[in-house]
Amino acid sequence: MPSAPSKTTSQRAPRRRSASPPKAAVIPAAVEDWFARHRWDVFDFQRQVWQAAQQGRSGLLHAGTGAGKTYAVWFGALLHAEPRLGREDLPATAQGLRILWITPMRALAADTLRALQAPLADLLPHWQAGMRTGDTGSGERARQMKSLPQALVTTPESLSLLLSQPDARQRFGKLDAVIVDEWHELMGNKRGVQVQLALARLRRWRPGMVVWGLSATLGNLEQSLQALLGPDAAEHGVLVRGQQRKRILIDTLLPPQATRFAWAGHLGLQMLPAVVAEIDASGSTLVFTNTRSQAELWYQNLLDARPDWAGIIALHHGSLDREVREWVEQGLRDGRLKAVVCTSSLDLGVDFTPVERVLQIGSPRGVARLLQRAGRSGHSPGRSSRATLVPTNSLELVEAAAAQDAVAAGRVEQRPVPDTPLDVLVQHLVTIALGGGFLADELLAEVRQAWSYRHLREDQWQWALDFVVRGGQSLGAYPEYHRVRAGEDGVYRVELPAIARRHRMNIVTIVADASLHVQYMKGGRIGTIEEGFIARLRPGDRFLFGGRVLEFVRVHEMTAWVRRSSAGSGAVPRWQGGRMPLSSTLAHAVLDRLEQAAQGRFDGPEMQAVRPLLDLQHAWSALPTAQRLVVETLKSREGHHLFFYPFAGRLVHMGLASLLAWRLSRERAATFSIAVNDYGFELLGADKVEAHRLEPRQALALFSEERLLEDVLASLNATELSQRRFREIARIAGLVSQGHPGQRKSARQLQASSALFFEVFRKHDAGNLLLTQAQREVLEQELELERLRSTLAELRERTLTLVPLERATPFALPLMVERFREKLSTEKLADRVARMLRELEGAADKTSAQARPQPRPRSSPRKHTG
Amino acid sequence: MMSPYPSFDAAGATLTMLPERALLWRKRAMLILADVHFGKAAAFRAGGIPVPHGTTRANLELIDALVQRHAVRHVVFLGDFLHARAGRVAGTLQALARWRSCNAGLSLTLVRGNHDHHAGDPPEALAMEVVDEPWRVGPLAFCHHPQTVDGAFAIVGHVHPVYRLAAAGDALRLPCFVVDGQWAMLPAFGDFTGGYRIHAQPGQRIFLAADDCVLPLPD
Repeated sequence: MPSAPSKTTSQRAPRRRSASPPKAAVIPAAVEDWFARHRWDVFDFQRQVWQAAQQGRSGLLHAGTGAGKTYAVWFGALLHAEPRLGREDLPATAQGLRILWITPMRALAADTLRALQAPLADLLPHWQAGMRTGDTGSGERARQMKSLPQALVTTPESLSLLLSQPDARQRFGKLDAVIVDEWHELMGNKRGVQVQLALARLRRWRPGMVVWGLSATLGNLEQSLQALLGPDAAEHGVLVRGQQRKRILIDTLLPPQATRFAWAGHLGLQMLPAVVAEIDASGSTLVFTNTRSQAELWYQNLLDARPDWAGIIALHHGSLDREVREWVEQGLRDGRLKAVVCTSSLDLGVDFTPVERVLQIGSPRGVARLLQRAGRSGHSPGRSSRATLVPTNSLELVEAAAAQDAVAAGRVEQRPVPDTPLDVLVQHLVTIALGGGFLADELLAEVRQAWSYRHLREDQWQWALDFVVRGGQSLGAYPEYHRVRAGEDGVYRVELPAIARRHRMNIVTIVADASLHVQYMKGGRIGTIEEGFIARLRPGDRFLFGGRVLEFVRVHEMTAWVRRSSAGSGAVPRWQGGRMPLSSTLAHAVLDRLEQAAQGRFDGPEMQAVRPLLDLQHAWSALPTAQRLVVETLKSREGHHLFFYPFAGRLVHMGLASLLAWRLSRERAATFSIAVNDYGFELLGADKVEAHRLEPRQALALFSEERLLEDVLASLNATELSQRRFREIARIAGLVSQGHPGQRKSARQLQASSALFFEVFRKHDAGNLLLTQAQREVLEQELELERLRSTLAELRERTLTLVPLERATPFALPLMVERFREKLSTEKLADRVARMLRELEGAADKTSAQARPQPRPRSSPRKHTG
Repeated sequence: MMSPYPSFDAAGATLTMLPERALLWRKRAMLILADVHFGKAAAFRAGGIPVPHGTTRANLELIDALVQRHAVRHVVFLGDFLHARAGRVAGTLQALARWRSCNAGLSLTLVRGNHDHHAGDPPEALAMEVVDEPWRVGPLAFCHHPQTVDGAFAIVGHVHPVYRLAAAGDALRLPCFVVDGQWAMLPAFGDFTGGYRIHAQPGQRIFLAADDCVLPLPD
């Protein structure tokens, strides 16, 4: 008998339904036998999942990486779909899709499929399992069009594509279970929202199906479960905790001597000899970096340091060609590779048993991510996971100490779920209009069963509907507009094949910025690269990619043609999206450590090593702590600098910096150049900010919450943040099409940049909700408005120490040399241009060098000079 | 009257660069515009991409203002007058026809560009003279595509040039004019045209259009 769900909904402790009564469903002997034959124990958590699924319940299984997760949910789904599995009287007739397995990464699909197929041969011999991702060939696709296999491994994008088929409902008509792998990777982003919407649809078609998610440990597991199951079903969901991880060891590779300056952009290569020694002394090692460019650099430098490692160390990141990545993964599995330099591309996936160690170059940015990466090592019996932090600047030593504090205290970040993203809804409406069409009321009810849209208002819904039907809110304003149309039966459908084609193309590319293939003139394909980087290159320029120096030749039909270069070095592509902010959890742990330092306590080797830097900061200025906000001023050739150190993470700093720049420039028009990092921010202006504006009482006004939203919104208009955010929104909402190889010429006449759309909307359709969404996303996701608010409150409590500097302090220097800068301007455009032109003329006259360290040129990209 | 805007000499003709991204040949009362792309928004809408209305009207109003302010008698379009065949919708064509009827005395010339070949010539009702490049007038040769023309100074479009100005930690993308020894290039006119970033080559002068000013880039 299934246990009745608790009636007292107010009582929602995290463990509420974890322990199902043992008297529940019986696990068939065939399953127990199958495990025994493979000499595997059945874990308690597996039994819990199986029983719950057998009872038709959905849920979330969370655990660190570790054995048994896959089969916990896979057998759960199988038992729900085919209770008689393994028995002689098994009916052999059931055709059609029964179980859907959603994975966030195409690269994981093949491994997953192998794991799922293993028990099928013995227990459900007439079942087929297949996969469908962007990599699936056309022959296989055509076969699947006729009939889907009983089990299908797919990605969120490919699932949306399936839902856009006219006979989607029929195809999913026998579905019994959906598994979402690595749900923690999806729940916080728009692909996760895409999954929510797909699940809401499937649940309506198949009310009896079960949904199970797999997740790493998070600070908000309850919400994670709710987002997966939707507002109605969540209440009956089961939260199961997987096998506890064995011990995780976290330590730090200390620099040979403490540098007293915290250089940014150094990429930590001074640690190269130490890293080489560690790799040499260890078994198979994963070297994690935070960005693809950093991975390229480290790979290159490791090879330069140890040419004899050619062939046994490798590079792995998301831009490399699939075949290259698979070769590297296989090498890790076989234990052939001594080390792999990688990015988050190896955060997920099947475990590589031979991996012994993990090195993390630079800050891990968050506790959850550190744990995830550490968990990639130590899977051989009797081993523990070990992650070694490799600081790339001296301040990261403090972070390393703080990260260990947070791990020891079990403080893990939460992952927020997007709230009502209208761009994804707009896309979904077209998808469903293609996939058999929809009735407005029915679809509204269904969409509200997706957690992110549970509070979707009538007017927002109407706006989205108008947007795809009429192109906007004003009735009949666009007679030539056809995207989705209501028929006489009230069913909304897509009529034009060209629109259908473009929409399907866009679904596939929801995640990435437009990217180009990188291919040798002679033929071999190397990988893909963001258009934005290639656009800045001129023929003959060299760049580092896939571990090689390449010479850019030309772009033709969405392919960047290159040839191998004999030169020694090149610019490193700066890929987007590589820069996660320091999490609030970790930032507070850092402030705690600085507080101790201010009191003269330097516990542990990391704090001892960073002590000279902190002492210098203290001597030249002051140490920022949880009690004290340090503000430094400096005059240089570039202008007047203001440095603030709130230690609230780069996103909040961006918001704070824009807000302060706006408030400071309200009385007198000015343009500020803003640099941020995780520790603080810099405002650089042509004129001095009067000292009285930073006196304690005046400063309180600067940090005031009064008119906060208005001021932040106004400051947004004076920067380009919203416009950049709009790029993704325009793509998802189908305004901007991705270029793709072999594109038909006629489609090119419908190409415009998102920046152009942004301008046109702003000028001619200011009420457009996609603009509003861009603004809101900047507020919530980029500037973390709530965190900004609480930071302001904290700052008002802190004592402000204003220090005029003679020269840059250890904390100031990384900000001064930061190349990625935001602009905030309240000047008239013509005045601003005139001032810049004067500056250029002045600079041309001057040739004298400066004594202080020369910041890098602020225009990107960095070009090599060899 | 002294013009507040910079001029350059084109084989004896004095041409003034206007911040509205147009060129004025005062002596001939001629206004030169490049890459207007009328109907582009409509073409997008017909393709299912919602672009708000108003770009055509804004462009026409701007031409009106320039015609009046500078006593223009002849407007030359350097190609890409219409964006695409799909953009020849009633709304856009009617707006153009209405504008034409209010400006009946104006001479209009279109030098065909690549988009015009696909989109077709403007409707008869607009009473435009339609010519192929290069179209020679006095010392000048009006073209759509960048080129040099023997014995003439070429005025070209097509590229939609923008320049990235970076100085003192600040950076902006601005539409620009490019003036070379034998030719000059205009920025795209209009609201929904976009831009292509160019770099200054030796011997070229670049003029930036910003608000109500045209400012020369220092050499």
